[in-house]
Amino acid sequence: MRHYIKVEMLRMLRNKRYIIFVVAFPVGFYLLYSNLWGSESDQATGLRGSVLLMVSMAAYGALAAAMMSTAVPWSQERHSGWLRQLQITPLPGRAIILTKLASSMLLVLPSLLLVGLAAVLTQHVSLPPLQWAELILAMWAGTIPFAALGLAIGSLLPPDTAQPVAMIGMFGLALLGGLWFPESMMPAAMKSIAHVTPSYDYARVGWQIAAGEAPHAADAAGILAWGVALVALALVAYRRATVRA
Amino acid sequence: MNAIAFTGVTKRYGDVLAVDGLDLEIPAGATVALLGPNGAGKSTSINMLLGLLRPSSGEIRVFGSPPETAVADGEIGAMLQEGALIPELTVAETVDFVRRLYPRPLPLEEILRLADLTELARRRADRLSGGQTQRVRFALAIAGGPRLLLLDEPTAAMDVESRRTFWDNMRAYAAGGRTILFATHYLEEADENADRVVVIARGRVVADGSAAEIKAGVAGQAVSFLLGDQPVAGLDALPGTTGVELQGGRVTLRTTDLDATVAALYRKTTLDVRDLQVHGADLEDAFLALTKEA
Repeated sequence: MRHYIKVEMLRMLRNKRYIIFVVAFPVGFYLLYSNLWGSESDQATGLRGSVLLMVSMAAYGALAAAMMSTAVPWSQERHSGWLRQLQITPLPGRAIILTKLASSMLLVLPSLLLVGLAAVLTQHVSLPPLQWAELILAMWAGTIPFAALGLAIGSLLPPDTAQPVAMIGMFGLALLGGLWFPESMMPAAMKSIAHVTPSYDYARVGWQIAAGEAPHAADAAGILAWGVALVALALVAYRRATVRA
Repeated sequence: MNAIAFTGVTKRYGDVLAVDGLDLEIPAGATVALLGPNGAGKSTSINMLLGLLRPSSGEIRVFGSPPETAVADGEIGAMLQEGALIPELTVAETVDFVRRLYPRPLPLEEILRLADLTELARRRADRLSGGQTQRVRFALAIAGGPRLLLLDEPTAAMDVESRRTFWDNMRAYAAGGRTILFATHYLEEADENADRVVVIARGRVVADGSAAEIKAGVAGQAVSFLLGDQPVAGLDALPGTTGVELQGGRVTLRTTDLDATVAALYRKTTLDVRDLQVHGADLEDAFLALTKEA
């Protein structure tokens, strides 16, 4: 299974779409935005722009990586016959989805770490070591719901539908989570939708840790609940997609 | 020991009976062709052997175990009809990944050599031609060194030259005492590459033996002539006749005794027989006769 994870990573790192959306986009936009607003400070969180944007862009990159590395590749594998190829080897069925989840989690790390690195190098962001560790760990674990959502989409939809649905889901969640512009700028209706999305809770936990606070219970509970629900959905969908007639 | 045993296996999709009470035993070490028209139940049978489909009733054993167990033990390798590769991985990476999933894999170099892929080892899967992709899929089927190799219409996307090489490669793999079952609707392939041919139609075995036995077992020859508007009735009663087909004014009589049939045609009927032609039997005729809708 270790070799399987290695192979999964290798193929995504060779995928141009992954590199562009997941690595180049968040780092590029961080550099752009932090130059514009890096020194302003945010009233809601009290964070400096360079730190706030670091969390936002890292969150966007991680969310995109989690969904891009799962939904479309997995849907394609099911439809192209690659899944069958694996089903007729001694590889146990559960190993496939566990590997997908594990590889997706690993593929989230480049965007998290590179945005952080860009923040340190260009904006001289500095946090105490323990706070860095907490922030990265929380933002890493917090991508589980998005990877699960991607896997569920890949299990339920054929590739040509999975592609737009994953794209809309990814940008929609990023937008509603307040990753592209602050939630305070949203119209009221959009705000109330935003508040129930997992990406909103995910970003808020990141900002809270970056501000040196403990994550608020409501936000942590929100992402946890989404995590449980989406992992359950992913498992049910996977079972349905691989059932033997 | 039997490599494969089907006992009264039936597979039903809704109202459609894809496999209808199939009984079949294949001893270890044999190379067997499963010959039949499209929709005969070949792929369904192979998918059941792999545990991808479950029989509606009956029992399947592979080396004495249920298919799922045989697959988990790495006893079976298969080349299914469909199967794309991962576009971003090279041939060697793909083959090496799959071989590592098996408990007793062949060495990577040997697999690449057996599938004629040594020179393509570093090429990415999305840059392979159709025929080259088929060779990689053959490599994946043998990667685990399985004792039983299942091939479902393996040469469908290949040109004549690739086909010839493919069967050479298959024979090289079979030579180690391994069991091969391949599905095909090409009669020549069955004739040339299998030591036993199992003909199936509508989910049942309709003939089973060597290619020569199958040819001999059906009405050996046929005679055809222009009948025009004359009545067809009574032709099936001619001596030796086993079948009568009428197509566009030309009638074809299948017969086990050509001389008797032709003699009776002239002496015992008042038909005006024109453009008489005699057809020899080949496996194609045998196959058509066997699998013709009853």
